[in-house]
Amino acid sequence: MKTPLRAINWNRLEDEKDLEVWNRLTVNFWLPEKVPLSNDVQSWATLRPEERELTIRVFTGLTLLDTVQNTIGAPSMMPDAQTPHEEAVLSNISFMEAVHARSYSSIFSTLCLTKEVDEAFRWSEENPHLQAKARLILEEYKAGSDPLKRKIASVFLESFLFYSGFYLPMYWSSRAKLTNTADLIRLIIRDEAVHGYYIGYKYQRALEKLPEARRQELKDFAFALIFDLYDIEQKYTAELYDGIGLTEDVKAFLHYNANKALQNLGYEALFPPAACEVNPAIMAALSPDSENHDFFSGSGSSYVIGKAVATEDEDWDF
Amino acid sequence: MLDDGVKAELDYHALNAMLNLYDGEGRIRFDADRKAARQYFLQHVNQNTVFFHNLDEKLRYLVDEGYYEPEVLDQYSKNFQRAIWDAAYLRKFRFPTFLGAFKYYTSYTLKTRDGQRYLERYEDRVVMVALALARGDEALAMRFMEEILSGRFQPATPTFLNAGKKSRGELISCFLLRLEDNMESIGRSINSALQLSKRGGGVALMLTNLREAGAPIKGIENQSSGVIPVMKLLEDSFSYANQLGARQGAGAVYLNAHHPDILRFLDTKRENADEKIRIKTLSLGVVIPDVTFELAKKNEDMYLFSPHDVEKVYGLPFSEISVTEKYAEMVDDKRIKKRKINAREFFQTIAEIQFESGYPYIMFEDTVNRANPVHGRISMSNLCSEILQVNEASEFNEDLSYAHLGTDISCNLGSLNIAATMDGPDFGATVEAAIRALTAVSEMSSIEAVPSIRRGNDEAHAVGLGQMNLHGFLARERIHYGSPEGIEFTSVYFAAVAYHAIRASNLLAQEKGHSFRDFDKSKYANGSFFDKYTSRDWLPELADVARVFEGVTLPTRADWEALKADVMAHGLYNRNLQAVPPTGSISYINNSTSSIHPIVAKIEVRKEGKIGRVYYPAAFMSNDNLEYYRDAYEIGPDAIIDTYAAATEHVDQGLSLTLFFPAEATTRDINRAQIHAWKKGIKTIYYIRLRQTALEGTEVQGCVSCTL
Repeated sequence: MKTPLRAINWNRLEDEKDLEVWNRLTVNFWLPEKVPLSNDVQSWATLRPEERELTIRVFTGLTLLDTVQNTIGAPSMMPDAQTPHEEAVLSNISFMEAVHARSYSSIFSTLCLTKEVDEAFRWSEENPHLQAKARLILEEYKAGSDPLKRKIASVFLESFLFYSGFYLPMYWSSRAKLTNTADLIRLIIRDEAVHGYYIGYKYQRALEKLPEARRQELKDFAFALIFDLYDIEQKYTAELYDGIGLTEDVKAFLHYNANKALQNLGYEALFPPAACEVNPAIMAALSPDSENHDFFSGSGSSYVIGKAVATEDEDWDF
Repeated sequence: MLDDGVKAELDYHALNAMLNLYDGEGRIRFDADRKAARQYFLQHVNQNTVFFHNLDEKLRYLVDEGYYEPEVLDQYSKNFQRAIWDAAYLRKFRFPTFLGAFKYYTSYTLKTRDGQRYLERYEDRVVMVALALARGDEALAMRFMEEILSGRFQPATPTFLNAGKKSRGELISCFLLRLEDNMESIGRSINSALQLSKRGGGVALMLTNLREAGAPIKGIENQSSGVIPVMKLLEDSFSYANQLGARQGAGAVYLNAHHPDILRFLDTKRENADEKIRIKTLSLGVVIPDVTFELAKKNEDMYLFSPHDVEKVYGLPFSEISVTEKYAEMVDDKRIKKRKINAREFFQTIAEIQFESGYPYIMFEDTVNRANPVHGRISMSNLCSEILQVNEASEFNEDLSYAHLGTDISCNLGSLNIAATMDGPDFGATVEAAIRALTAVSEMSSIEAVPSIRRGNDEAHAVGLGQMNLHGFLARERIHYGSPEGIEFTSVYFAAVAYHAIRASNLLAQEKGHSFRDFDKSKYANGSFFDKYTSRDWLPELADVARVFEGVTLPTRADWEALKADVMAHGLYNRNLQAVPPTGSISYINNSTSSIHPIVAKIEVRKEGKIGRVYYPAAFMSNDNLEYYRDAYEIGPDAIIDTYAAATEHVDQGLSLTLFFPAEATTRDINRAQIHAWKKGIKTIYYIRLRQTALEGTEVQGCVSCTL
């Protein structure tokens, strides 16, 4: 007998978290056209050639990761979903990753010359570290691999691997450069934070039902994977940032985010607090909300799509 | 210097950012910000400031090299120059916050032409502004210097930035232009927008009179493209004409709610709007008459009227008609083409778009015109929604020359720091000095590129005295913002400012021997303006309010009676006197909370194109008085509206009123706040701002601005 096809019923929730995250993600919907990137054109011109090259490379690296997550990562987790609502959330995650990948191209087309961008894309295809980390993640996304290991890989990608790239626009914005681009990146960070948190949450729920031995196996796997990724990430970071002397500071940021990724999975921190002392200007730059700006600047990252509720007679009491 | 965990090697940006991160005991690190300010001078400012042996050498250099306007200095003797500079330096001014210092040195101070080295300290800038505005009057120059350096009076950015410099922009902040329904007017307005933007001002344009999309041109139907393409042209004009590359030009457009293009106008700010019609950087404002509220109350449809037909029927541009007054008549007139939308849905659409973009601003048309003490009709506001003045249409010849030169609006602004003014030696003298300084700006300005602005300024000498640091002052005095004491203070304070502003303008009229044009048709001339001040007292009743006014002489009914007689006899020099702007940058250098609204966060995250992200602590805040620094989102819209309503009563123009909501709010919450504001006699609403709290588990650890 065939199993019946089931329509998704959002009024019968198995996990309240699905709705909470769905609401958050939909409210946060945005498109790159909202950010007046062209206001950064003059600021872009003040960067030195090597700084520009670095910035483009960092963004192509991010584009690659978003592409992986959009086309392979999020879809590969859908069959593992425990509830139809989780599947719906994952499809939203997948779509927003496509928006992110699209956004970097908006930055490129606004600020850069085609030739520079083409060169950077070629660089991203040839850079061994970038390719290695993407491959390591893809290995776990492959069909037939362990669903929970897939989640681990996904959380590491969302909560850890992006941040070597995110560092740079935050750094520029703390130096009053490319501030509108930083707005856009903050929107991406806002999304990735929720993605990493949600997938980690689902991982922890699944873990609760497993025997101790299996849990230990997964934990060993997670730590082994983050060691491998960190090893690559170190080299990638050094290659990118040595030129402008920021490598040490970016590494502290990596440590902080590696801990955050592990925390999303429910694990203890890997790096001691002393190794995570990120430049306060970067930490403070991460917070997306409560930013005050004037109309000479961009639109900020705090506006959302609101909930429409009609007014009633009692509201018009005058 | 490692005593408090603040690492000595951190640069000033990092020290400043520590303000936004709690220390180990959950306290805000104010000390880190003070260190940031000090380090900024040690690491950066001092070593990049050009050194001079003495004042004479410095002034000679700055004049010879073409940095200072010699005409400004030549009005004064060498002895006086030395005296005023000595007096200024004796005050030992220090910036209390990093952002104050940083903002001043990045945006205001005079720099060498390559932008690398500083030529002025704060005291120099203040003295040059005082000398320029006093125009040779030594006593007045000394007074201006005292008022500005003590922080009581702060001129608006264009004045403070430019006065006394040789190559500079205009001293005026803000311009308002009206468009008429013909190509000459549209073309001329775009030119004016370019010219004014180049000179450093924000420009607002009223589009209400333009015919709607699909309206006939030369009698042929479906020809006009409506207001959207004009908005696109304006948006591009503003991004082209930036101010010496310093910042983008900025503009706003206003449209009446009963214009047929109103929904399209609003949709330009939708998140998913098509690129062809999407408006990114232009600000939007909607002019809403009372009748729209009445229709929404009855849950009826609202009619939208073709401006083209209205003008044909009444012989007047749409903006000159009171929609409320003529509504029934226009509905019944079959010569006027109309369509309808549901009034409540219209308000809901506004709220939806405010969620997505913060826009549109709102001007309550009938409230504004009822409160207008001078002759004429107010049909628009400006980029910050605090300027409310009358204007007059221009007519053009085919070659764009004027067939009739109308008047457009400019306004120069400056704000008092409420705390410093209350602490000052003579409340009335401070207000008078401020009005004199603003009047000087008006008299020194003549925008030749836009003759309608020049004529408006020459005839009106309109100024806008604003206020800032209300929340900081109340918190220092341990009064909660929005409490009965807070609201009563606001009312008494603004009544006193109104009294002294009118008195100062009356003195100016006596000195100069004339009043603004059409004074005789104003409510000042017939005395009716003064009724509400001579029929009751505007004095403190609550004990806490009386306490903070101790030592301040407040005007009594008898004082108002005397002033009324003087005004009726001698007139007023300035057509407009007060307007309360949002005060961004100047409140940072002045160490104030912005305008009269509550703080947006205990530690404000400020982003500006030119300086990036910087963190700013609220004025007078310490780890011991945090309870008085509830932010705007905690305080909620009603208390803000009630505070503004108390001030609005005494302000002849408008006040930039921003409303704050948590992201969980609905469009209904926004609509209710708008209805409340309209009921309370608020004139305009500026931005709607939303705050989204981070999803639990995703927040940045220990961040002050995001977790409170």
